[in-house]
Amino acid sequence: MAKSRNEDVSLDMTPMIDVVFQLIIFFVVTLKMSDDKDTTIKLADGKNGIVLTQEELPPSQLTIDVAASGRVSMSNITMSDAMIVDAVKKRVNAYGTDFPCMIRADKNTQHKHVAKVMNLCAAAGMWKVSFVAIQEHKANK
Amino acid sequence: MARKQYDNPKAEMTPMIDVVFQLMIFFIVTIKQEDIFSKLNANRPAPNASSAQSEENDTQIKIDIGKGGVVFNGRGMSFPALDANIKKLAASSTKSTVLVRCTLDSPHGFLVHVLDICNKYKMYNLSIFSM
Repeated sequence: MAKSRNEDVSLDMTPMIDVVFQLIIFFVVTLKMSDDKDTTIKLADGKNGIVLTQEELPPSQLTIDVAASGRVSMSNITMSDAMIVDAVKKRVNAYGTDFPCMIRADKNTQHKHVAKVMNLCAAAGMWKVSFVAIQEHKANK
Repeated sequence: MARKQYDNPKAEMTPMIDVVFQLMIFFIVTIKQEDIFSKLNANRPAPNASSAQSEENDTQIKIDIGKGGVVFNGRGMSFPALDANIKKLAASSTKSTVLVRCTLDSPHGFLVHVLDICNKYKMYNLSIFSM
């Protein structure tokens, strides 16, 4: 019985392999392996804010992370005050003050750390800042 | 030519399918869903402009944030109470400026909560001061 099934060569594998490859390509494309942000940050809830979609995040956007410890980073690289001013100034020179300048601060961060970052942005000519919050919890933690 | 290949029963598919399934399982397991984020816009006026400006204009709403909570109209209150107060004010006008004054040791979560309440009632004229 088993032998006769093994010898059946008319079973076509091609469609299955096609589907499986499609699935693999989907997962490869959607997977983000590296973390380009400070993952220790726990954001506060902000249900009524503007939802951050892909259109709200143009390439001109600048995100500054402030951890609960007061560590200021961009793309998970610790930044000094001068470096922040420099980075914001470059954006202001390139895009004016219309680019989204976003601060991702932990909900337990003391205000003085956030105030420092806002003052650095202001020193670089950027008066409008946005705070990132969680609109809807999806991550299963 | 193509037909001949199809008819060849010796092409061993099993290892390839094994590998492909392994890859699939790996990617299904490692994929993680992200939270949906929102942003709350605010202004950061120059520190010296704040005092001169706040004197003349009486359509401003002042909210103070300290380490322990929120002070509004000189009274400490809970977030739901603040929510109710902002709702009342927004009913008359959403144009007025909201001045949010934070002490240096107040947690950032309070500020985000207050900004969120203001956004809820469409008050988008928000300024943040530190003291």
